Amino acid sequence: MMLAVVGGGIMAQDGGGTVVSAISMVSGDLLTIDPAQAEASSQIEVINQIFIGLTNQDVVTAETGLGIATGFTAEPQDDGTVVYTFTLQEGIPWVRYNADSGAVEQLTDADGNPMVVTAQDVVYGMLRSLNPETASPYSYVLVPYIVGAAEFNAGTGAADAVGVVAVDDLTVQITAPDAASFAPAIYGLWMSRPQPQAIIEEFGDVWTEPENIATNGPFALKEWAHDESITMIRNPFWPGSDSIPQAQLEEVTLRFLDTPQQFAEYQAGTLDAIQVPADQLAFVQADPTLSAEYVTGGNPCTYYVGFDNTEGPSANAHFRRALSMSIDRQAIIDNILQGGQEAAGFFTYPGLNAAPQQEDFPDAAIHYDTAAAQAEFALALEELGAASAADLGQLSYVFNDTATHTAIAQAIQQMWSETLGLEVILEARESTGYFAGLSEDAPTIYRAGWCQDYSDANNFLYDVFFSASSQNDTGFVNADYDALVAEARVEGDTAVRVDLYSQAEQILVNEQAAIAPIYFYNLQLLVKPNVERAPSVTGNEAYYLWSRSS
Amino acid sequence: MAVAEQPSTTGNVAKIEKKIQGESLWSDSWRRLRRNRLALMGGIIIIGAVLIAIFASLIAPFPYDKQTLSDANSAPMWVINLFPTMKAQGEPGGYVKVSDLYFLGADNLGRDLFSRIIYGSRISLAVAFIGPLFSIVVGMIVGLIAGYTGGKTDNLLMRAVDLMYAFPTTLFVILLLAIFRGGASEAPQGSFIYTMSLIDRQMGGLLFVFIGIGLTSWMGMARLVRGQVLSVREKEYIEAAKSLGARNRSVVVRHIMPNILGPIIIAETLTIPTYISYEAFLSFIGLGVNPPTPSWGSMISEGAQRITSYPNQALFPAMALFLVMFAFNFLGDGLRDALDPRMRGSD
Repeated sequence: MMLAVVGGGIMAQDGGGTVVSAISMVSGDLLTIDPAQAEASSQIEVINQIFIGLTNQDVVTAETGLGIATGFTAEPQDDGTVVYTFTLQEGIPWVRYNADSGAVEQLTDADGNPMVVTAQDVVYGMLRSLNPETASPYSYVLVPYIVGAAEFNAGTGAADAVGVVAVDDLTVQITAPDAASFAPAIYGLWMSRPQPQAIIEEFGDVWTEPENIATNGPFALKEWAHDESITMIRNPFWPGSDSIPQAQLEEVTLRFLDTPQQFAEYQAGTLDAIQVPADQLAFVQADPTLSAEYVTGGNPCTYYVGFDNTEGPSANAHFRRALSMSIDRQAIIDNILQGGQEAAGFFTYPGLNAAPQQEDFPDAAIHYDTAAAQAEFALALEELGAASAADLGQLSYVFNDTATHTAIAQAIQQMWSETLGLEVILEARESTGYFAGLSEDAPTIYRAGWCQDYSDANNFLYDVFFSASSQNDTGFVNADYDALVAEARVEGDTAVRVDLYSQAEQILVNEQAAIAPIYFYNLQLLVKPNVERAPSVTGNEAYYLWSRSS
Repeated sequence: MAVAEQPSTTGNVAKIEKKIQGESLWSDSWRRLRRNRLALMGGIIIIGAVLIAIFASLIAPFPYDKQTLSDANSAPMWVINLFPTMKAQGEPGGYVKVSDLYFLGADNLGRDLFSRIIYGSRISLAVAFIGPLFSIVVGMIVGLIAGYTGGKTDNLLMRAVDLMYAFPTTLFVILLLAIFRGGASEAPQGSFIYTMSLIDRQMGGLLFVFIGIGLTSWMGMARLVRGQVLSVREKEYIEAAKSLGARNRSVVVRHIMPNILGPIIIAETLTIPTYISYEAFLSFIGLGVNPPTPSWGSMISEGAQRITSYPNQALFPAMALFLVMFAFNFLGDGLRDALDPRMRGSD
């Protein structure tokens, strides 16, 4: 998913008492919480609490567990396809919060029968996400794992020909064209989750508003004050499942705040959990109270600088390599981030399944090297027919406006200026809608991030930079790269996959330098001592695993 | 012309027994201004700030964009002692890197705050002069024409002013930025957008701040000038000048303008702090100068992000801003007292 932590804090509530807990989100609003439309991490964090799919990634182990399914089978067929049969848990109701009665209520259909999650809802959800009219930014991730999905998604095939069917009310059968080990994880991602057909057809675009929505997860949507906060309330009708027990917190409020405000509110006790702003880390670690509340952990995201590979000076590979090699990643980590992050020589987060490690493939990874950068830059100028960096025209480095991105942008700006004599303008954009803007028209140079959706290198190398990926904002197209990641996708042997991915990385970040990976994230949180947080390693918080003591 | 040779006869209409030294309005005003200590202090601060801005490169110990990442957020001991919330590394709970290299400390990229404040004065003072320049040149011409001509021209010009008044300045600046900065990287070389953004870039991002201020600052001035012209236009000395055959232009330039200059100077001096704070505001919300160009507004904005841990990064530039705005306000007040004809002769 696109990395966009929504600035804010979590507030949790228990019993019938006051609202208490609040974690960090970016300032601004969530663009959507429609499972078919979501792509940013902050949107998905909310969706993960209120919509549950067939499978579910356990945030503590990163393993794929079961969601609303009680089990599934995978049967390879003679023609190479694989048939997955999921059995659904019985009687999971669709619910909505009723503001008048102040309680979560089970929804009923036109005949007065309670609405429950059925196999048809799952099929409808997948087909709605795949429907070209929905224009789901994540449908392309699902497309390779269902027969007929590619044609339907491209507008050339019929919905009937898509290989997902409801055998009966509690059985979903999915036919996958090939055997990818992580396919069950993809069937549980947000765009594959059950969606309430009757509600969506009745309310149209505003179906995700609290007064219209129907949800099926451990939390229900209570209130969405746009640009301010989003509040979820415990759903007493959630029966509990394999990796998702009933929620213990009564309420969770996510507030959209700028980082300085988050920090101030946390200190004032009005937020229960926040992400620590980078420039407060030294202060937090030294402070006796705050250092006791300080929590670190893994956060499988990569921070990178993207280049427009299709036009302008950044279409030149030497230019991109020069820029990438003149970024001193360790200096940024040591002095700006100060959180002990790891410098990224590869794009893929190292903790994922089949991810190549940069220590094992040092020659494939990209490294900070000013002399090599200058040599590359000289080649670039020659190929671009420019006498000096000033002849390249005005180049902008575009980033979404937060304190940390601004500081990193200014540091990189200076590194390019000192090493290459290249002056770029910094252009800060609003966080809301930033990634949608990148997809529309990628700037010459821009800041981006990518977080895991499921724990496999495929999610980074295939899902983002395969030439047909709709997340490939750079416009990077390379036949060798495509062949490598396509082969690795269906390869069964992990050692072989790691090797294939290392070759793909070499093309992506080194030879072609389509992007400049900067660092691998880690998590720095402050959590109040009376709040028990589930130690997530996936970068997503599972509030249904949290609890608090008064 | 004969009139010009006889000012003393009109000046002596009142019978004054004691012979006094003839004293012009200006020298009288200057005498009174000198006695106003606050105004004088304001003037000295402004002159000092102008000198600092001009000789910034000689005074500043570091270039404003020189980053030393390893010195990020460091501060000297006296600054740490000044702010009770800051604690030096080594003390219990201490977190601030101690470095005596930077007089006021360094920001989060290890840039010298003191040097950035010095260079930042250039932006604030440039705005303090460009604003009035636009406003006086455009506002005065429009106001004089409207007030003196009257009738349809007056009506037309004043309705145009009303229209411009209704235009939201901030929105206008945001629009300009969206068009020129947003489109700069895509615009072909040599196109209008490209050229404009090139100028903007070479000015460190000030061009659109200037344009924004310039386009919206003159309306108040035009109204003020028009009002003043209306009040003096029927005065006897104007009639006298006209009846002696003076042309319109000479009436306006030689008789009307000098007589309305006082209120204009006062109004403009008192508006300068508004321009300075407007630039700071634009920079604060990220629409002003481009990084790494320092402006006090952008420095306050960045410093405010970490005001709890490193208050020096926001408070020192804020103090510089405060000082200069105060200086202009005091000077404006002093000028108002000094130039008010009713105060003439009083001490």
